[in-house]
Amino acid sequence: MVVGKIIAVHSYKGGTGKTLLSLNLAATLVKHGKNVCLLDLDFRAPSLSTVLQIEKVGCWLNDYLNGTCEIDKVLIDLSDRFQNKGKLFVGLANPTTEAIRNMSSKDRKWEMRALGRLLALRNSLLTDKGFDYLIFDTSPGLQYSSINAIVSADLIIVATTFDRSDVDGTKRMLRELYDLFEKKTEIILNKVLHDISSKSGKDEVDSKIKDIYQVPLLGVIPCFCDILRGEGNIIFAQEKPEHPFAKILDEIANKIDNNMA
Amino acid sequence: MAKQEVLGKKPLHILEKIRENLEKLNEKMEVMIELQKHGRKDIQPLPEAPLDVMTLLSMPDHLRKTAMTVCRLGRATAEETAQQTRRARAVESAYLNQLVIMGHLKKERKGRKAYFYVDRESQG
Repeated sequence: MVVGKIIAVHSYKGGTGKTLLSLNLAATLVKHGKNVCLLDLDFRAPSLSTVLQIEKVGCWLNDYLNGTCEIDKVLIDLSDRFQNKGKLFVGLANPTTEAIRNMSSKDRKWEMRALGRLLALRNSLLTDKGFDYLIFDTSPGLQYSSINAIVSADLIIVATTFDRSDVDGTKRMLRELYDLFEKKTEIILNKVLHDISSKSGKDEVDSKIKDIYQVPLLGVIPCFCDILRGEGNIIFAQEKPEHPFAKILDEIANKIDNNMA
Repeated sequence: MAKQEVLGKKPLHILEKIRENLEKLNEKMEVMIELQKHGRKDIQPLPEAPLDVMTLLSMPDHLRKTAMTVCRLGRATAEETAQQTRRARAVESAYLNQLVIMGHLKKERKGRKAYFYVDRESQG
């Protein structure tokens, strides 16, 4: 039996497009017939509940990590909304100020237990429930919750841009975080302004990224005005499958599926 | 007949005890060798040292690999850990015992097997 995989989408800086990528990657994998569970582990700035416009939530991921409810109570089935071959479930982080403050003040022992509960998802969701992928949308940088997610994952997708401080920070994280945990890491370069419509333009960006980071490049995503115009209300993989962004995600999802098989 | 059986079992029982004690002694020696090798003669047993990710990050590479494997497996023997890390069982045994001494792992004996695990519930 093939057991599913855990992917953590992480970045050094905020605003690199982690949530957009996580959600659209999840939707793309579902479109490809995979059963996916997308979990919002960005407890500092939860956004999936807003993006997905989900108002009624019984239990949050915060409650699961606090040990006050089981993961079954947290997951929300969105398969009907997506109507694809695969199923999509989501687990949301509580966006209230009180919950954010509460999650920011946890001690080491709590974080250790939270790591245990994240690691337990491999059995409860991948082995028992048969999900093909768990996707963790994380907080940027070296937050406890993000490192817990990284330790629990099989593949780290690092969303980065050509911003100089982002490049430097991402390089440091590759060396001092992902390498130390011996994690398979791949890069998605987002918001690219270079012309990558030609093969030579794309090759140039590819080789530049490989030189800088020395890790495989999963995909290059141009800066699309349509995405900005969408104001976070459009799930391109689902609603605009012919858009170039959705096409790039198709390629990325295929690469992930082939690499993880 | 019954008396003969009892007499026959006694030496076996004694041998089993000797073997167990030798294994314990071996583990202790492995830890001492390991501590010397890494120049950490000052390590004192810590009653409680949460194995959180920041602790994992600050560990030497060789111990981090072992600790991560136990985290992933939940509960493991030195043999099971060695299968994952592809290092020798004796090496893993030494590292696991060192992590116990440091207070990061707990150890429990069941028969002849020693299991190592992260005690997430009792801490705190």
